[in-house]
Amino acid sequence: MSDDHHHPIPRTAVEERVDALEALLIDKGILDPGAIDAIVEYFEHEVGPMNGAKVVARAWTDPDYKSRLLANATAAIAELGFGGPEGEHMVVVENTPEVHNVIVCTLCSCYPWPVLGLPPNWYKSAPYRSRVVREPRVVLAEMGYVVPDGVEIRVWDSSAEIRYLVLPIRPDGSERLDDSELAALVTRDSMIGVARL
Amino acid sequence: MSHTAAVADGLAEPSIPRSNGTLAFDAPWQGRALAMAILLVERTDQQWDVFRRYLIHAIDDKPERPYWDSFATALDTFAAELDPD
Repeated sequence: MSDDHHHPIPRTAVEERVDALEALLIDKGILDPGAIDAIVEYFEHEVGPMNGAKVVARAWTDPDYKSRLLANATAAIAELGFGGPEGEHMVVVENTPEVHNVIVCTLCSCYPWPVLGLPPNWYKSAPYRSRVVREPRVVLAEMGYVVPDGVEIRVWDSSAEIRYLVLPIRPDGSERLDDSELAALVTRDSMIGVARL
Repeated sequence: MSHTAAVADGLAEPSIPRSNGTLAFDAPWQGRALAMAILLVERTDQQWDVFRRYLIHAIDDKPERPYWDSFATALDTFAAELDPD
C-alpha cells in the first residue's frame, strides 16, 4: 500500500469513514497501528492457489523440474519463491491415468498455505474430513468428479509435519500453451484432488 | 505472527469477494477494514462469528450496496457497540 502519492481515484465517502474510524480507534488506544499494518502486510503476502498453479504448470513443461518436485517438493517449490509457514514440509503427489490423489486433513485443517492460500470451508468441514477417507469415490462424485472405475484413489492425510499438493494430469489440447497460460487452467480444487482439469 | 488463528478466521469469511480463491481487494482501505475487524474480534475474546452477525445484518439491510460498503457499516456498528464512547 505504498502508492498513496499518486491517487488517481478520488477518495470515496466510505473510505473516509473507514480512515476516520481507524484514526479514532488508534487514538483511543483500542487498536495498535502496528498490528493493523502487520495484518495488512500478511494479506499482501497472502498467497493463493495461483502459486500452486505456477508450480503445476512448471512441472508440466519442465521434466527436470517435475523430477525435483516429486523428489523434494519443499525445495522445488522454494525455487519458484514460495514457502514459509504451513509449507515447510511439502510432498507433491502425481495423478496418472491409473491413480488419482486427493488430500484431506482428518484431524483439523492442515493445508499447504504457501501454494494454495487458505483452505475452503468445505475442506475444514467434519463431513469432508471423515467421509473422504471412508468413501472417497462417493465424496468426489458428490463434488462433481466421477472417478472412472479402473482408477485407484489414494487419500493423503495432511498433518502438522507434512502438507500435500496434488499434481493434476495436464489437460489434453494444452500442448501449445506456455507456462502462464497453463497456470491459468489449474484450479485450486484440482490441486486438492477433488476435481479434474 | 501471534494472530494466526484470528487472522485465518477473518480471511476465511466466506462472503469476502475472491478471485480463484484469493482475497480480492479493490482498494487498500478494504484490507485495513478487514484487519480492524479481525483485531476488534480478537479483543472481545470471541470468535469471528461475533462480527459476522453485524456483517450479515449490514448486507441484509441493503443488499444492493457494494460488499465493502456494507463491511464498513458493519465495522462501524461493531466498533461503536464495543466502545460506546
